[in-house]
Amino acid sequence: MTGLPATVTHRVTGRQVHVDEPLRLGGAGRETALTVQFLRECQSHGLRTHWEIAHEETPGGDAYDARMLHHLPPPAERPGESGKLSEWRTSYAAFPTGMLYHRRGPDFITVMDRRERPASARFTLDHPDLLTTFGTVQEATALSELSAVQREAVDLLAAERLALVADGWAVALPPRLHRWPVPCTGI
Amino acid sequence: MRVQLVTMPWHPIDLPSLQVGLLHRLLQQVRSDDEVREFHGSLRWAEFLLERSGGWLRPGDYEAIGSDSIFDGLGDWVFSGALYEDENWGVARLKEYAASRGICTDTASDMRVHAAEFIVECAAEVLAQEPDVVGFTSTFMQNVPSLALARELKRCRPDLTVVFGGSNCDGPMGHALHRNHPFVDLVVRGEGEYAFPALLRHLDAGTQPADVPGLCWWDGRTPRVNTQSRRTVAPADIPAPDYDQWQAALEASPVLEYVYPKLVVEGARGCWWGEKHHCTFCGLNGSSMAFRAKTGAQLWSEIDHLVRRHRILDVVTVDNIIDMAYFKDFLPLAVESGWDLRMHYEVKSNLTREQIALLGQAGAVLIQPGIESLSNRVLDLMDKGVSGARNVRTLRECENHSLTCTWNYLYGFPGETVEDYAPVVDQLPALVHLQPPGGAHRIQLERFSPNFTDPGFGFGKRRPAEMYQHVYDLPEVELTDLVYLFDTEDAGIGGQAESRLKRAVGDWRDGHPGSSLVMEEAEPQEGVDVLLVHDQRHGWPRRTHRLTGWQAVALRRLEDGRTEPALHRLLTGDGHDVPAGELNVWIQQAQAMGLLFRDGRTYVSLPTWEVPVRIDSDPADHAADRQAADRQAADRQAADRQAAAG
Repeated sequence: MTGLPATVTHRVTGRQVHVDEPLRLGGAGRETALTVQFLRECQSHGLRTHWEIAHEETPGGDAYDARMLHHLPPPAERPGESGKLSEWRTSYAAFPTGMLYHRRGPDFITVMDRRERPASARFTLDHPDLLTTFGTVQEATALSELSAVQREAVDLLAAERLALVADGWAVALPPRLHRWPVPCTGI
Repeated sequence: MRVQLVTMPWHPIDLPSLQVGLLHRLLQQVRSDDEVREFHGSLRWAEFLLERSGGWLRPGDYEAIGSDSIFDGLGDWVFSGALYEDENWGVARLKEYAASRGICTDTASDMRVHAAEFIVECAAEVLAQEPDVVGFTSTFMQNVPSLALARELKRCRPDLTVVFGGSNCDGPMGHALHRNHPFVDLVVRGEGEYAFPALLRHLDAGTQPADVPGLCWWDGRTPRVNTQSRRTVAPADIPAPDYDQWQAALEASPVLEYVYPKLVVEGARGCWWGEKHHCTFCGLNGSSMAFRAKTGAQLWSEIDHLVRRHRILDVVTVDNIIDMAYFKDFLPLAVESGWDLRMHYEVKSNLTREQIALLGQAGAVLIQPGIESLSNRVLDLMDKGVSGARNVRTLRECENHSLTCTWNYLYGFPGETVEDYAPVVDQLPALVHLQPPGGAHRIQLERFSPNFTDPGFGFGKRRPAEMYQHVYDLPEVELTDLVYLFDTEDAGIGGQAESRLKRAVGDWRDGHPGSSLVMEEAEPQEGVDVLLVHDQRHGWPRRTHRLTGWQAVALRRLEDGRTEPALHRLLTGDGHDVPAGELNVWIQQAQAMGLLFRDGRTYVSLPTWEVPVRIDSDPADHAADRQAADRQAADRQAADRQAAAG
């Protein structure tokens, strides 16, 4: 049991994950949300992740800001790739652990966001609607399946770049910290 | 009565003061009519520096002085000019001291120019609350900042009652602090839970506090000192701290964006090991070694309350040693919570593998196991009660469970020899994949330690540490009672052996980041166990060792550490009929390949099962880098201005 979503075909060897098929991130609702969910869980478990982006894809496309994903493992390098991909790779290499993560407490969740360094942002989510919705969108979710209250909560999360909303789908972005780095005080 | 509780620099600005929190809650319980206010002078100082320096002196600078300069007294020196009302006091002495030791004092000097004004502002802020009593808690370098404020308070309000307490006031230190500073009315020596309310009752009644154990007080102009009680505070009488005012102050402060707030809790006082075997160099428990602990349920209840109230998941425990009962009645509660805690705990190094795993599961991911040395004999000399092999095992298990382990390599113990160090230093390159010590340091002579109290240990010649010359304007005879650290003659190794140890530790630290030695079980072949050990350690050939049959079993059996005969017996019991000579040859080969560490007759295997996610440095380092860059930019601007002016 790796705890990784079965929605993406993958193999785990030790602490490495190899994804068998190219993944989509171009903003096509469900596929993009599922890819983000999978990569988020890989990051959450501290796994080294090898994956390729679908050939025709540019992360984000016109649907969202690709810098929101810089805390997730970038795809394998390929010749002539877009500047967005190399920017992602550089950003991740500089901060491969702890750029964005969440921790769970009793009736609240804390989030640390250092995607816009050197600034950092800390959030404490303790409103019941936000907490519930944050839990719901741990899995890629169609906006049409959310209640009005949850839609409002997703909008708030998206405004703080804590959830990705694209093409009618939503997914939470901050990985849960399952494995502290050493030194644990470094993030 | 209005009581103001004060904590001055250099209390860590990411932590509440446990002492202030405890006394606040205690007074709420036993003197509910009192009005208790807190003054977080430490936080105010960090704010003051930010503001007055235009953002130049940041919380990172505060932390650097507060935590890194304890053995040079820079934090106290920053406020000594304010205390003695002479901006030049101690400047020449520090300059001479720093030059002889190669210490940079630029940041401390930059701060010092603001100290006097800060103290005046603090006094105004405290007195605006119209307190009847102001109580200071003082530990490490809080003495001079606290004395400076106390003096100013009494100058402004001579009728105010000023009380001191805390670790700096334990035993003769409290007496010396009192008799040398007439503006300090009362000093509580030892634990405050019984004494502080008792002295407040005397203040209410206007009676002499002659019956308050340990108290120092003035009888006219004569300093009186009550005998310190041997009675310790029962765990049931130690309240849960109140951090409401601290959190309110921090959340209103610009310092917040620079720090990661943490909660401070206390499960136990004293040291259960020290009661039986006092580590020869340790003075941390002061005059009260008696070990007392809250129940695990009580400690968890306090953490549960504080975490829910303050929405903070980082918890620092101040216990000098974990109560072993907590592995059964506290840590499982933390595991059950499912919360993502990050706890800091001091533990004894001889924990089992299961106990270390439980610490990790419970969120106690930062431990300080008091490793101190990897040599059996030196550990015996310091009466540490653990072997070098056990310490190596602990380091290895920290890797397996992603625990951050902080420790220092200590040397300079009377009776140690070059021969104690050579075999360990020879093997340090094999440990490069394990977390290295912060450094190799000669032990200090600390008050209350056996090395201090018994000159027979070899430190008969001692005098107050030289740094106190630029901290206090007091004669040596008074410093002898007042201070915690002493200079003494070096003991143990020196010269080349000392240099070699320091160099080896430096190499360990340099080589660690990319190093790993990790094993995995491969598919058995024809019913024979196969163990692969991937060696990617700095300074070693990159290779994979393939161990099969009894050799694979032997490496695993040595995870706990065994002597050669014991290993032979175990292998025989496992059904492996290995000739003793053959086993000996394999052990020598495995040690030569850096797969085993030898401590006396004991061997312990070094490969780990996991490699933690490692990151390069602490945020403080990032902050330091940013500050260095900012300083360079500012220097350039200053140079540009000078050039323009010229």
